[in-house]
Amino acid sequence: MDMSSHPLLAVIDESPPFPDKYPQLKRLDRSVVCQVCKEPFTAPVSISCGHSFCSQCIRSSLDVSKKCPSCNENCSEGSIRRNRALEEITDAWDESRPTLIELTRPAPTSTSLRKRPAPEPNSKASSSSGPYKRVKTNGSGSGSQSRSVSPSKPMSKDGSNGHARDHEEDEEEEEDEDEIQELTENDEAPCPLCQATMPISSIPLHIEKGCPPPKSTKKVNGAAGKGNQKSDWKKVFSGQGLGSGKGKEVEMKRITKPNYALATPAELRATLADYSLPTAGDKPTLTSRLQEWIILFNANLDTSHPSSLSALRAKLAESESSRKRDKEKGKDEMINQLGTKEGMEKYAKEKKGEFERLKKEIMERDKRRETEGSGTGKENAIEVD
Amino acid sequence: MAAGLSTKRLMKELSDINTKGTPPGISLHSADSMQDWIFLISVLGEETVYRGETFALRMKFGNRYPIEVPEVTFLANPEYQPPVHPHVYSNGHICASILGNEWSPVLNAVAICITMQSMLASNKKKERPEGNDRYVRTAPSNPKLTRWHYDDDVSLIETETLFEVEVEQ
Repeated sequence: MDMSSHPLLAVIDESPPFPDKYPQLKRLDRSVVCQVCKEPFTAPVSISCGHSFCSQCIRSSLDVSKKCPSCNENCSEGSIRRNRALEEITDAWDESRPTLIELTRPAPTSTSLRKRPAPEPNSKASSSSGPYKRVKTNGSGSGSQSRSVSPSKPMSKDGSNGHARDHEEDEEEEEDEDEIQELTENDEAPCPLCQATMPISSIPLHIEKGCPPPKSTKKVNGAAGKGNQKSDWKKVFSGQGLGSGKGKEVEMKRITKPNYALATPAELRATLADYSLPTAGDKPTLTSRLQEWIILFNANLDTSHPSSLSALRAKLAESESSRKRDKEKGKDEMINQLGTKEGMEKYAKEKKGEFERLKKEIMERDKRRETEGSGTGKENAIEVD
Repeated sequence: MAAGLSTKRLMKELSDINTKGTPPGISLHSADSMQDWIFLISVLGEETVYRGETFALRMKFGNRYPIEVPEVTFLANPEYQPPVHPHVYSNGHICASILGNEWSPVLNAVAICITMQSMLASNKKKERPEGNDRYVRTAPSNPKLTRWHYDDDVSLIETETLFEVEVEQ
């Protein structure tokens, strides 16, 4: 079939592939692609067998089957580890891809496209997205977040140097030129001694203090830590997770999956309410909403460019409504089919076998009942209240 | 445009088919919507029992694709008939583990076609599966609701076709 004018292809905004004479670039291009969604990695993670996927992809996949999609090896969600190196490579590749595409062009077709033939070491690498930059559209709101650490990012680990941060950001604006590939003080890096990740600016102080583990919001509720075990466990089993107090801000901490078979709708609603999500619907609706939210939320913790919570909520709402649309569309098609004469005939033809079979069964049953029914009578009769 | 994971992925596959084409013997017949694609499959070569025949493979993608397997059947209508094969029922339902518990999200529509093609190519005897009539009589319209038993784990193709019909609703 001729697909050059396919309506479904009109909407696709593909970045151009590399020409065939550069197989090595094609290979590189393929290697930063998640095998599940076939897009460049978003929040890449690795699992026990060594394969890497987008966090969201592998989490969705493991919800359905606890196996590696690539090699079929058994795998559980607990083995998911953030792959920071891969994330850096993907980002760097995304950034340099437009430049390389330009370089591989056989002849300069238009001069305007060749403004930047090669990145000079000191120029700001194409951080403004060029015409062919491959960026995953992350839904509303997330696109504006830049590569450098944005203020909205949950910076739980460095609450101590908030003032220093403001100052540095001012500086950053002035000397934009130096920002390029080098890490800025705002970026995170592992401590050379203990490998704990923290903003570069706080590493010297951290080492001076003798590498204390980075402060995190994970700490158990302070003083109440010990005597409160019972209620803590209760919270865990009701799917709320430790320390998620009411009315407080949402904690940027992985959500523990509740046991959906045992959880009551009220518990599911409570968890959803903790994250300011809609709590309408029956249990299957609530379950799938929470499942999807947990995937989105936990995957969002595996990247250094996280989306805001409101963006995640919008994403969830969108996928839910599109699913609903799909369902209703199916219904409409059925109704439309039955509306036309041809459709009706087709439906009758398709269902004829089934109809005949049911008819036969009923007739046989009636016959049986007649022969038996004359004896005892009551047992086979249909009972009516 | 509200492009979910499934729509985006299917668009990508479609544009791949568009630019790179399909393997020999396989062609895309129609893809009128994002949910319903039909491929035409024929077995190439001289020694196949399906020489000269063309079959239509229909795939219905849900919005959980590729996490969940698409619904795959051979078309059974006046124009196209399902192949006579020990793992293909006369209503077009297919017993292949790749369409059940062996499905993996890294696979795609063309990979399913290739598997079906090689399933047909490796067949030497044209016969319907055991219990075909009984299955066809009671089968749900969606083959995914049938609980298939795959006896042979060694090969994706040589699966045994014991089945148990489990009609939901």
